[in-house]
Amino acid sequence: MAYEEPIRDYDELVENCTCAFCGCNCDDLTYLIKDGHVVGVRHACRLGASKVMEDMDQRLLVPMIRNDEGNLVETDWDTALDKAAELIAGAVRPVFYGWSETSIETMKHGIKLGELVGAVLDNQATICHGPSLQAVQNAGYPVNTLGEVKNRADMIVYSGNNAMNSHPRHMGRYSAFPRGYFRKRGRFDRTIVTMDPRYTDTAKMSDIWVGFEQNGDYEFYNAMRAVLRGKKLKKDVISGIPKEDIEELVEAMKTTQYGSLFFGLGLTHTLSKQRSIDIAINLIQDLNKFTKWNLVPMRGHFNVNGFNIFMAFEMGFPYGVDFSRGYPRYMNGETNTIDLLTREEPDVFMVIAADPGAHFPGGANRHLTNIPVIQIDIHWGPSTELADIVLPGSFIGVEAAGTSYRMDGVPIYMKKAIDKPETCRDDEWIVRELHERVQKIKGEKIASK
Amino acid sequence: MTYIDKPPVPNVVKFDEPMATERNKLEVMLNTGSDIYQGACKKRGSTLKDEYRHVSGTAYMDPRDMTRLGVKNWDTVLVKTDWGEVVVYAAHSRDAPHEGQIFICKGPWANVIVSPETYCCCDPTYKGIEATIEKINKEPLLMADLMAAVYMKYDKDAEKTTNRLTEKRINVGITKPEE
Ligand code: SF4
Repeated sequence: MAYEEPIRDYDELVENCTCAFCGCNCDDLTYLIKDGHVVGVRHACRLGASKVMEDMDQRLLVPMIRNDEGNLVETDWDTALDKAAELIAGAVRPVFYGWSETSIETMKHGIKLGELVGAVLDNQATICHGPSLQAVQNAGYPVNTLGEVKNRADMIVYSGNNAMNSHPRHMGRYSAFPRGYFRKRGRFDRTIVTMDPRYTDTAKMSDIWVGFEQNGDYEFYNAMRAVLRGKKLKKDVISGIPKEDIEELVEAMKTTQYGSLFFGLGLTHTLSKQRSIDIAINLIQDLNKFTKWNLVPMRGHFNVNGFNIFMAFEMGFPYGVDFSRGYPRYMNGETNTIDLLTREEPDVFMVIAADPGAHFPGGANRHLTNIPVIQIDIHWGPSTELADIVLPGSFIGVEAAGTSYRMDGVPIYMKKAIDKPETCRDDEWIVRELHERVQKIKGEKIASK
Repeated sequence: MTYIDKPPVPNVVKFDEPMATERNKLEVMLNTGSDIYQGACKKRGSTLKDEYRHVSGTAYMDPRDMTRLGVKNWDTVLVKTDWGEVVVYAAHSRDAPHEGQIFICKGPWANVIVSPETYCCCDPTYKGIEATIEKINKEPLLMADLMAAVYMKYDKDAEKTTNRLTEKRINVGITKPEE
């Protein structure tokens, strides 16, 4: 990329802002503000900076409703909210999907609304780290905070994820490079291992790359566990890795002082799904007989973990919570968005701060064409093409304040830096307003009976 | 200033090894996921633009596979799976070598061909899908056109299709304009 002049033309600096992109929640950003817009971002990575300096061309500014010709036409807030509330109040099996890119304060009103109408509340974990959460229920959750990794870890393993592409500052801020209390020389005091079938950008920066074969993770972890327990491996090559290399790696992992494993979607999206995470967690438990090891799932959105923690705290289940019987239920393969959509169950679908159009398989999205879709978001995206009512929200961490949870479960308050566009509303306000309007409709129905 | 430029992929080098005979069709394993270009473009909100089609609708291939198939960077290919078929660009993968595997970033293009099957584990199978890839003389569609062509939600004339997993949506791409 060509050299770019630093930005000098700005009115004010806002320091200590939190990035609203990935699960690292970097909270050291500085925004450069001019005329009420962010014109530059300091300290953020390419992803964070691109999101904060958003594309105003595609910003959703006014509420819109689809007309009979199938075009979105602008309308006022009252009409749009009334229409949306009417749809939600009349629905038999509504699904509220998303929540990962909004604040905990918004989710609070979302739960109230969900309980009132008997909806299914689900978030992006259902298509990314859902299997990790199931595995945590199966095998335990030996988690540490990123601060501990920074100060203590001398061996860091990335498994099935490409941190340099999905969490670009993770290595720089928390794991590989920073100097910590016990790791005074930073990168020189640490060993970085990447386990991935592809030679990814993260693998290129590591000391050891374990390129096991596609779908070979389950077998590979089992082999490591066997070696750890003093067994002899019978095969010479396991999942494409020679047995000597496995033995050497296990020896290295055993003799570290503090290790941390970060795992990503490479483990959850393959056929063995939650079983490969089960085995990774068991491996960590076995390693703890010798030395200290922990693991952290590499969560994608900045508040995807927040929804899971908040839901588990309030309702007892992390995601895919079904209120249709009046009390919370959770059943994998039954109350998850993808399964509901492929079975064609939902009759109203509300997307809040998410993009099923871009992330759901076509086989699931096809049901969205049969039912009304309500979208609360900030940009015109693939889901807007399928939406019938569009409610423009605001940007948490830039235009609105809110709480979010980092990938390791540390809550972070994200502050507001600029004012939102005049015609937009806060997500929190929108969901609260929907709740009140639905309550009113339901109340009228009861009164007329 | 454009914040994102195309992934810096060099032009394909010809390998002079006996295996590199040209074929019309390759059987490959399809993986989807995200990379930094796709992530930045998507979250900035530039999904209606041509840039998104390039960062998201591109199959990253091993250069040897590209030689076998006879495609250069940014040529177009047709990827078929049991769930559908889609036209995307082909480009040299930064993570090569990974012969026999292709990588398409998540997005509306990859969605057409990934499996919605969750095996009751809530998570669709986004990785490790069997696919075939062949050269084609069509262009990938832009996001809005693709959404209209695949889902036909507001197309009154379209026959209402149901959501059976076996049903395929055929050939999403436009014929290249004459040069
Ligand atoms: S690493 Fe993640 S949280 Fe940190 S600046 Fe980059 S995108 Fe934002």
